Amino acid sequence: MIFIITLYSNEPISPIPIKVDCDMPKAMIGKELFFDTMLSSDNTISCFSCHNVYDGGADHRIVSLGVHNRKGNIQSPTVLNARYNFTEFWNGRAKDLYAQASGPLNNPAEHGMNPQKIEKAVNNSSHYKEMFKKVYGTSHITYKMVLESIVEFEKALITPNSRFDKYLRGEIKLTSSETQGYKLFKQYGCITCHNGVNIGGNSYQKMGIFIPIDEEKHYPDRMEVTKNILDKDVFKVPTLRNIDKTAPYFHDGSSKTLEDAIQSMSKHNLGMFISDEDTNYLMDFLKSLDGEEPKILEQP
Amino acid sequence: MKISKLLFIFIFIGIFSFLAIIKFYFVQRDFTQQQREFFLNINNLENAYLDASNLVLENSIYMYVDQDDVAHANKAIQNSYQILLTSKILSDDNYIEIKKSIVSLSKNLKQDVNNVEFFLRVNASIKNSLLFLSRHIDNSAVLAKANPKELLKARIILKSLNDTKKLQDLAYLKNKNYLLISTSEDKTVQRYIQSFNLHSNFLVKNYPAFMKITKQILDSKTTHNKIHRIKKEFSQIALNDLEALDEFASVLLSVFFLLFITIIILLVKYQRENLKLQAAYNSLEYSLTFDQLTEIYNRRRFEQDIKVIKNPSLLLVNINNFKYINDIYGNDVGNILLKDLTIFIISDISKSNKSSIYRLGGDEFGIVYQDIDDNLLLQIAEKLEISIANHVFIIKDLEIDITVSIAINSVRPILENADLTLKEIKKHPTINIVSYDESQHLKQDVEENMKIIQIIKEALIEDRIVPFFQPIINLQTLKIEKYEALVRLKLKDGTFLPPFKFLEIAQKSSQYNEITKVMIDKTIKIAQKYDKYRFSLNVSMRDISNKNIRDILFYALENKSADSKIDIELLESENLTDMQIVKEFITKVHSLGSKILIDDFGSGYSNFAYFSELDIDIVKIDGSIVKEIAKNERQFHMLKSIQEFANGMDMITVSEFVETKEIAQKLKDNGSIYAQGYYFSKPLEQPLDDDNVTI
Repeated sequence: MIFIITLYSNEPISPIPIKVDCDMPKAMIGKELFFDTMLSSDNTISCFSCHNVYDGGADHRIVSLGVHNRKGNIQSPTVLNARYNFTEFWNGRAKDLYAQASGPLNNPAEHGMNPQKIEKAVNNSSHYKEMFKKVYGTSHITYKMVLESIVEFEKALITPNSRFDKYLRGEIKLTSSETQGYKLFKQYGCITCHNGVNIGGNSYQKMGIFIPIDEEKHYPDRMEVTKNILDKDVFKVPTLRNIDKTAPYFHDGSSKTLEDAIQSMSKHNLGMFISDEDTNYLMDFLKSLDGEEPKILEQP
Repeated sequence: MKISKLLFIFIFIGIFSFLAIIKFYFVQRDFTQQQREFFLNINNLENAYLDASNLVLENSIYMYVDQDDVAHANKAIQNSYQILLTSKILSDDNYIEIKKSIVSLSKNLKQDVNNVEFFLRVNASIKNSLLFLSRHIDNSAVLAKANPKELLKARIILKSLNDTKKLQDLAYLKNKNYLLISTSEDKTVQRYIQSFNLHSNFLVKNYPAFMKITKQILDSKTTHNKIHRIKKEFSQIALNDLEALDEFASVLLSVFFLLFITIIILLVKYQRENLKLQAAYNSLEYSLTFDQLTEIYNRRRFEQDIKVIKNPSLLLVNINNFKYINDIYGNDVGNILLKDLTIFIISDISKSNKSSIYRLGGDEFGIVYQDIDDNLLLQIAEKLEISIANHVFIIKDLEIDITVSIAINSVRPILENADLTLKEIKKHPTINIVSYDESQHLKQDVEENMKIIQIIKEALIEDRIVPFFQPIINLQTLKIEKYEALVRLKLKDGTFLPPFKFLEIAQKSSQYNEITKVMIDKTIKIAQKYDKYRFSLNVSMRDISNKNIRDILFYALENKSADSKIDIELLESENLTDMQIVKEFITKVHSLGSKILIDDFGSGYSNFAYFSELDIDIVKIDGSIVKEIAKNERQFHMLKSIQEFANGMDMITVSEFVETKEIAQKLKDNGSIYAQGYYFSKPLEQPLDDDNVTI
């Protein structure tokens, strides 16, 4: 990984490593847990409910529905490549995947569980007991073990080998449209926030730097974490990987299409108007960021 | 206190201090490790912090930056801070202040991270706006055509905005009009100016906060200084701790060194004492092994040696009557004699087989041989006995002759058997050398004696001690005048034991007096019954010296009225000790009307001296002379001489052992008066009523 970073250090974007470290046996348990609605208070919700890992890893609904159809308060961000985010959640309140995974599970509006309930649920399942016993060598499953398995699975949820990554590795050439899109991406200054492995996910930014966004509705922003007025409407810059598949966009799901999202961003945060032509170029570039489906999903 | 004890105590202390040094080593090692760990951790934090600062600088300069690096650097700060906080050394009370400082550092770090995040946020927009404005001016054809003056102003505004950022100085913005004024009706121009103003306004509005945060991050050394201060304070405390440890180490080492020296000194002393002890031990060992006087091996050594020697033989040499030598000449002479004898024995036996000599007791020497032939051993003993007997020891001008008894033994238990043998030898005055095997016969004799004593005891109880009577004949009248009472022991089967079979043994026991008493009583009774005869009783001179027997005799002669018809035959003893007692005895006997006979005159111990001192009435001429007179003229002459001597001394003679008619006739012809013997009669159970005899 260091090798790759060094190699492409002239570009502010780095490709996703093709192979990453993750504890496969644990990840395989995590995979089952990820899809299991047992981890919710009314057996309706799994992680997968709001993070469709087969299609962008996010939720196409503006806000997700949790147990008893309770509505979420923010648009579900993608779980794909989440390991490359510097913090988790829109406002970065979780410092890592462990803290993140724990959030929705214990949220009454999402899974509506708590560690005791989860332990009880998995320990009642002979299937999980057997799986955990094989990997952990103990017959009692703890909440920590559950989290760890899910995290290991999430760590495997990477989408390498996008066209752009291949380009960065010098394997292919981009189309002229994509090349133009990337050039504009830099010229317009998108790249000042969307950079790094995840092309975003490594800094916070205010929504509506130039033109404020609709403030009718309150969302859990960075201010909720820092209690600093300057952090009002500040969110973690989201990743642009697989952005083509994660509509609707922004924390409030206010943009239904990618095109709209580009124009909204340029208006509010770049303080400029981007022509349709340039928008198309940018969209072509963004689409080149779609990666392969995570390998772990193919495994039985 | 004993040196060995001291030594052990010091060695113990030494071991203790050695363990303390080891313990100290571990404490010191742990401390050093923890200290190193702390420095590593705090340096990591400092480096992460500096990395983050550098990245901030980079971010402010470069247009396109991969912010992953900053994110990583911030994570690194947080992680290294957490690690630092768990540094082992911080749990030590000495470092509680350091820990407090580190805890308070958390606030600074959080603030720094927040500052960086804020900086990145603002910086991104400012960079974008400046870039936008540059590009905007590049695409200024619209404005150039409509209002070239405003374009120029736009360029100046952009320049001052750029300068302000580059130089981080708000002074470049002061009093400057940074907004373009739209005078054109053209919508495109108006939109152009609007866009420009949006960004220039944004920049002007955000510059102060941006400058402030940039300055804060790049200039502020608060966190860094704090880290430095913590490091410095830590070093100070650690140094103190190390010095304390150093002092402790030097104290420990000095103690250890001193102990080491002490132990060496003690060891040397101990060694010396040991040598002394060894010397004492050696002399003790010598005295345990050697006899002080003769300087040959002693009894203890003998007992040790005899255990390990295979097939040993012992000559146990004992000086006869050594007690008298000590009594007569004194112990000094006795000791010198023992020394000289030792030398003599050694020189004598050294000529023969290999042997060891031991002094086993006062006057007892042991000579030990191994695997020696019995005959050879006997020869050696005989030779030694003779050469000692023939040697004259000259001590302080005294000539001393000694004889030794030698017990020979090869049967275990060696010394015990030899001792028994020696005791047997002492019982037999004429024997000087006996081997243990032979002594078994002597022992059998003893057993035989015990049997006889038992027989005597029973005989006394059952009244089977009886007198036999042998007549004494007057040759001239051919009448029996007297009887000699002779003791007999009647056995249960009716046969009789002659006195030589039991009397000597009885003498050594308390039964002897009883026998004497019985003999006296019974003889007196017979004497009363046979009125016409006189009777004589045998009394040895040794008996006379026994007051008990004397009293029995006197009592009997006084009270049992036998009309003074009992005479006393005195038997000579080997050593007649007190002549005075005998004299008094004879006087007393005479006063009671009895006569004194001397028995066995002319045999071994006959002593004419008696006759000059003692008042003797009758002399009995020993049978060894009488038996021979018929054939041997010399013997006959002796007889006649004794008779003449007796006549001269006014004594009567009795010839004993008259066994043939020839002798009887010769005696009668010779004019002898009294005779006694088998020719006339053997001893009888009772005297004869008829007193006539014939030749």
